[in-house]
Order: sequence, then C-alpha cells, then structure tokens
Amino acid sequence: MMPVLEQPPASTSILKDRKILLVDDDRLNMRILAGILRPEGAIVAEANCGEAALELYPTFLPDLVLLDVMMPGINGYQTCRQLKQQHGDACAPVIFITAKNESDDIVEGLEAGGVDYLPKPFRPKEALARIRIHVQNRILREQQNQLVEQLSHANAAKNRLLGMAAHDLRNPLASIRALSEFLSDGTVGPLTAEQLDLVGTIHEASQSMLTLVNELLDLSVIQSGELKLYREEHSLADLIAKSVGIANLNAAAKGTTLVFAPSPVAKILLDEEKIKQVVANLLSNAVKFSPPGSVIRIGLQAEDAHAVVRVRDQGPGIPAGEHGKLFQDFGRTSVKPTGGEQSTGLGLAICKKLIEAHGGRICADNEPDGGCTFKFSLPLNP
Amino acid sequence: MKFEGKILLVDDEAHIRKFVGLLLRKHFAPTVLEAGDGLAALAIYEQQQPDLVLLDVNMPHLDGLQTLDRLRKAYPDANVVMLTSLTNRQTVEECLRLGAIDYIRKDTPKDELAAQLQRIIEECFAEDPPPTTASLPP
Repeated sequence: MMPVLEQPPASTSILKDRKILLVDDDRLNMRILAGILRPEGAIVAEANCGEAALELYPTFLPDLVLLDVMMPGINGYQTCRQLKQQHGDACAPVIFITAKNESDDIVEGLEAGGVDYLPKPFRPKEALARIRIHVQNRILREQQNQLVEQLSHANAAKNRLLGMAAHDLRNPLASIRALSEFLSDGTVGPLTAEQLDLVGTIHEASQSMLTLVNELLDLSVIQSGELKLYREEHSLADLIAKSVGIANLNAAAKGTTLVFAPSPVAKILLDEEKIKQVVANLLSNAVKFSPPGSVIRIGLQAEDAHAVVRVRDQGPGIPAGEHGKLFQDFGRTSVKPTGGEQSTGLGLAICKKLIEAHGGRICADNEPDGGCTFKFSLPLNP
Repeated sequence: MKFEGKILLVDDEAHIRKFVGLLLRKHFAPTVLEAGDGLAALAIYEQQQPDLVLLDVNMPHLDGLQTLDRLRKAYPDANVVMLTSLTNRQTVEECLRLGAIDYIRKDTPKDELAAQLQRIIEECFAEDPPPTTASLPP
C-alpha cells in the first residue's frame, strides 16, 4: 500500500525555491524547522544570533525570516527593528519564534515589525500553515509591485504615444481647416452652393477634430505630470475682458451676448495662457448650452484672499444626479448644445486640472431661477 | 498698413506652406518665397534678402533654432518670426534669446493669425518702414 502524502509534493508547494532565514541559538529548534521546510523545496539559511542574521540578510535576501526572541547578544525584537530600518519596505516578513506566549510579548513583536509568531514547542502543521500564508503574501506583494511598475510604464508609453499622435495630427488639421476657409471665403474663386456646403462640412469636421486633438494633448501632458506653469503677474480683469471680446464675436452668430462686470482685484501670479484657456472654455460652454439670444454674465470679485470668477449662463442647468460627471475626463452630461456645437467632454476636466495646478478651485451650481453658474477661484497670494 | 516687402516662408510641411502662403498673399500681398528646410532658407535669404522670415521650429537636418542662429549671425538685422505648432515655452524663450521677434502658432484660426501677423509687421516696421504703400495722412 502506498503511503499517504500529508504534504503536497515539493514541486507544487508555494515554498518551493523560496528562501527562508532561520535565526535561533537553539540548534534543535533550527533542525526541527529546517526539517519542516526543506521537504517543501524551500532554501534554508541559518544564523545562530541576531548579529549573524543582520550580516547574512543582504547576501541571502530571504523571502521570510523566522526569528527567535531570546538570544544572546541583541534579541529578536532588536534584530527585527534593525532589519526593518536597514531594508525598509522591501524587507522580508518576520515571524517570531517564542517560548512565551503572553500577549504582551506578542504585541511587542508585532510592534517591532513582525507579522506573526510561532509558539514553541512547534506544531509542524500549524507552523507550516502560518509560514505558507506569509510567503504567499510576500509573493502577492511582489507581483503587485511588478504589476504597478508595468502599468506605470504602459501608462507613460500611452501618454507619449497620445502626445505624439496628437502633435502629428495637429498641423495637418490646422491646414485643412484654414484651406477650407480659403475655399469658402472666395479667396480662390467662387463656389456653387453645393460646393460651399461640402466645404463647410470639411471645415466643421476639421475644427472639431482639432479641438479634440488639442484637448487630448493637454490631457496627456497633465496626466504624465509634465504640466508646467509659467506664472507672471497679470490682471485677471484684463485677461477676462480680452476673452469676453473674442467670445462675443463667436457668440454673435447665436445672437448671444456676454457681459463682463468686474470689481477691482489686485494683479495675481498666474500662467496667462492656461487661465485664458480656462476662461475661454467656460465662456464657450456658456454660449454653447444657452439658448440663442441669451445673456451670459461674467463677474470677478475678491473674496477671502481669492479672486473669484463667475460665469452665469441661461442654459437648462446641470441635470439632477449628473453633477459628478461635469469635471471628469470624457464626462458629458445629458444636456445638449443648443446650436449643434460639438463637445468632447474633456474641456472641463482640463479646466479643473489647470485651476487646481494654480492652487485654486472650480465648481458649478444651478441657480434657483434657472441656468447655472461656473465659479473658479485663484489665491491672491499663491 | 499694406506691407509689400518680401517674406520668406520656411516649413518642411508643404500643406503649411500652402496655407500660410495663401494667407500671406491674401492679407499682405507681398512676394512670398518658400523654403522646405533650413539650408534652402539660408541660400534664399542670401540671394533675395527678404524683409521678414517666418521660420518653422521642427524641421529635419537644420532645425529652426539652428537656422535662426546661423541667419542672425550672418545677418544681425534679419527679422525672424517663429512658426510653432506647440507653445513649448523653453523653445520659444530660446528663439527669442537667439533674436527672433516673436512667434505665432500654426493652429491659430486664420483670421486671428492674420491679425497677429499684421500687429507683428506693424511693430517691426513702425520706425524703419520697408517698401510700403501706406497712405500718409493728408
């Protein structure tokens, strides 16, 4: 009759080829533990005191340390503290071997950085079960670290690719857009109504692609942590006034007007281009989602050491339950533009990141009598 | 102000030369010379001595910065405006340090681009007018 195997064969054991450092001044204990571990395929190294363990650790680099508490020289707790101090987060888990099992000692061991303890005398099955659990945790943690590293590499590669693609798409799109305008404005001769319609479609399509590409490029810069602000002292009122001027030209087609009423606010340190981008985005959204003929009101005030900008539209407001989507990447709400305009769902997400990079905040709220107000604030003394 | 000087347009991408060239001819009606790379630009500059150079930054062989540097060393009075596709602040600052007057972004809508160029040309030639048909006040 074949003997019944109590343990799984070494080839399938979780402990196979795992390195375990035994630290005990008692040779008999050491032999018992080695006798439990070696049949599992574990690679066992032995140290007979704390000092020897500290010396052996860096060359052996164990996956687990079994550490006696009472030893001549530095004791197990001190050894454990030093191991943790020297090897930091990468240090192998430490299980204490203790003859005493009073709760105080256990607590001291856990506080010293141990993950578990094995009471003497050993019960082999229990010892093995505990050792397996901690080796398994160690393996999972290693795998997790590897995955995180792989993912962050993959994410960086994705951001690079996105940036490159967006960059290479941008120039041709800008040319298509401009050349279609030259066709439709008669620069190169008159077109028939049908030709004008087709050229208009080319223009619109290239414009929305260009917007998307620009936003993807912004997002890839922000997500890869490469966003750099070039702050200089600027008048926020002047900056907004210019943006309102440009937005009014574009809004004229919808019969919409933008009105800017600033209060005096001191100059502040900001990246002009980035804040202009935020303002332009909020203004174009306000026009986009308000019915034709609306009046958009823009305010600027100093409040609690912040410059606060408010853009109030006459749109349908933020639908109930969709508030969370507003500032998320690709987070479009169910509200549709009123003039057939395009929306990528990236604009506000980018605004939020740009404002937060300035140490400011952005939010939006519905007004009780209709429409909603987008508000951002920038610290007056960043 | 109607600018009637010669403009040298340097970009390795033919579609950009086509679009910016059309814009220059329409709004400024100057002689537009074109070059597809930095070396060709230097050769044309030497022969034709244009009043203004619009210079792309990213080009193979001799890039915009190198071209700008060589051009300004040979012709310290050369008026160069950089054509960029990205506002990479470092590159822009380097261009200005090397003597470029200003920069314009290629993805700017064409009417805005024309307005920016108009402003740059007016500022650049305000005191030292190039060949121009600007009408004098009566």
